[in-house]
Amino acid sequence: MSFGVVMLMRIILPLYVTAFILYTVRAIKGPTIPDIILAVDCMSFDIAAFMAILAVYFKSVYLISGAITLALWAYLLDIYIANHLTKKEVGA
Amino acid sequence: MNTLFTLGAILVIIGGICDLFGAIGLLKFPNFYIRLHAATIGTIGGAAVPLFGVALLALSTNIPNKYAIAGASLITGIITLLAAPAGATALAYAAHKTNAVEWNPKTDHLKEARK
Repeated sequence: MSFGVVMLMRIILPLYVTAFILYTVRAIKGPTIPDIILAVDCMSFDIAAFMAILAVYFKSVYLISGAITLALWAYLLDIYIANHLTKKEVGA
Repeated sequence: MNTLFTLGAILVIIGGICDLFGAIGLLKFPNFYIRLHAATIGTIGGAAVPLFGVALLALSTNIPNKYAIAGASLITGIITLLAAPAGATALAYAAHKTNAVEWNPKTDHLKEARK
């Protein structure tokens, strides 16, 4: 069964790495603040998903706690930036 | 056991393809409000679907702590499914409220309704 995981990783890895590079290009050259935040948001959710795949690949349980924290952090970043843009202050 | 592995692998491959298409759309689309569609493909199709796939994939293998990996992947997928649309909606509301993004609509029903 481990052979199947290695073959799956060989298919998945180029797709995810290409997507990360394209998200990084949009996050660097995005013209306005909401574009940058949207690109960072997509990148965070995708790194969380890729970290779960790596946890199966490396047979380690410790990578999963980072995935949950990344998924929560991206939502918190959205809410804070939206609040700062509308009210010009940072807070919940 | 083998059926679970095949189902999880199919979900993970669908997630990778959706992720690549969302990234291309986010780079190529002209406007912030149009880029939100590509961002939805990149988060729901590219993060929530492969997380459910990883939960099935971890159950089918015999690695140590497989139940912890499967349960945490399922919880992360549900969090992503709930949090990503709410965050995108808040960001679009803030961008429309403060006129942070320039756009040239042909018809604006919201502005006509607010008159």
